[in-house]
Amino acid sequence: MRIGLGLTGALLLLLGATAATAANDQIFDRQVPAQPRGVVEISNVSGNIEVSGWDRSEVGVHADLAGGVEGVEVSSEGGHTSIKVRTPAFSGHGVARLQVKIPKDSELDVSAVNADISTSGVLGVQRLSAVSGKISAEIAGADTELKTVSGSVQVKGHGQPARLRASTVSGDVHLEHGGGDIEAGTVNGSLIASLDGVRSVRAHTTSGEVRVEGTLARGATVEASSVSGNLTVRVGADGGYAYEVSSFSGNISDCFNASPEHTKYGPGSRLEGTRGDGAGRIRLKTMSGNVQLCDRQ
Amino acid sequence: MAGPPNTDDRKVTSLGELPQSIEPPHDLWPRIQAQLGDIRAAADGATPAQRRALRMRWLAAAAMVACVATGVWIGRSLLSGMPGSGTAPATASHGSSIPGVAPTALDAAYVSDPRYQQQRAELVRALQARLARLPPPERDKVTASLQAIEKAKADLEQALGHDPSNALLQELLVNTYQDEMRVLTDVHEASDPGRGI
Repeated sequence: MRIGLGLTGALLLLLGATAATAANDQIFDRQVPAQPRGVVEISNVSGNIEVSGWDRSEVGVHADLAGGVEGVEVSSEGGHTSIKVRTPAFSGHGVARLQVKIPKDSELDVSAVNADISTSGVLGVQRLSAVSGKISAEIAGADTELKTVSGSVQVKGHGQPARLRASTVSGDVHLEHGGGDIEAGTVNGSLIASLDGVRSVRAHTTSGEVRVEGTLARGATVEASSVSGNLTVRVGADGGYAYEVSSFSGNISDCFNASPEHTKYGPGSRLEGTRGDGAGRIRLKTMSGNVQLCDRQ
Repeated sequence: MAGPPNTDDRKVTSLGELPQSIEPPHDLWPRIQAQLGDIRAAADGATPAQRRALRMRWLAAAAMVACVATGVWIGRSLLSGMPGSGTAPATASHGSSIPGVAPTALDAAYVSDPRYQQQRAELVRALQARLARLPPPERDKVTASLQAIEKAKADLEQALGHDPSNALLQELLVNTYQDEMRVLTDVHEASDPGRGI
């Protein structure tokens, strides 16, 4: 009898707690006018941020707030719209899930601490940064800068010429259909990119793998280096390219039957040559990582 | 009007007309001997300026020898402290600057710019506190990245010890130093309350 009463009590307590938690969740909705090419700034500590572009001249915010978030501040003035999630001072606790719609040509500036960021349909400049969240961005023809500490970076391009800079300390970087000028770096994460008529690539890791595949524009340059990570570059280019591969102690291999030269003094082993007209240039360097170069995908 | 024939004006028509030997008007040797004696005496009793110049030459030579000896000593002692050489780095006993990793003995030798060293020292000093503000899984990831950088530095420095003029290794080492600074700065900014990276 006593056990039954105890169990019932515990169950009631649990139900009460759940109901209280649900009651604390808040839904926030707000729309403010915005300029078609204005600047939108968003900041959130924890949760996630989803941003999408639309054809309206207004910014729409939908937020699901939980765990003590105090609210969301939205202001719009003179082409500048700001969205900030307010958390209790000192504790910083609270989770906010934001869905934000912005004019598609806006310039977007997002900063998060422990929140994932995703964007789609935004055509303007994007600057996205997170400490430990994952960044997933769809980019168009405008400059994009993505930065995380421990999170990963995933970028979906459309081969349009733009300047992309992506860096993470320990996360991975994945790029699909990259065009224009790409600069990416990670320490021990992997860096994987598919290229679509890219003009220049600079990729650097300390111990992570670098894998680059796709097509280069005529006269494009690819520079990749790693201390101990492996480099795999399988790219074709209109007009071909001159290549220079050097490694101190890693193996160098290729798909066009060229043999690396082993030097007693100098880099260690070296492979140089030209494919096609040699219009572009590829330089790959490692200390102990292996290097594989091919002009076919 | 006839006088003694002027020998300078006399035309020589054959070698046989030339004299077999010509005696000097007087003995030249005593003067030569005297001049040689003056030089020897001057060397023995040189002026202070001459003695100073001589001493400077000796000091320069000694300094060169000392420089070479110091270089050899530094090279030997630093190389002997590098990973893989069988002995621990001289600075390792003082503890690691970055959590979980030992500092490399060549850090100071390769990067001697005081401004760089000061900035790096400040970032490393604050690193523990900054890392403590990150969530544990993120802290572990960042620590692993810093360890990867330290290992890369140690490997590159060891390779450079065997091949100091290798441009490839030098370039990769510079990249790695830059990566380290970038990571330290990112961690510093990431854990800055209200700021983020």
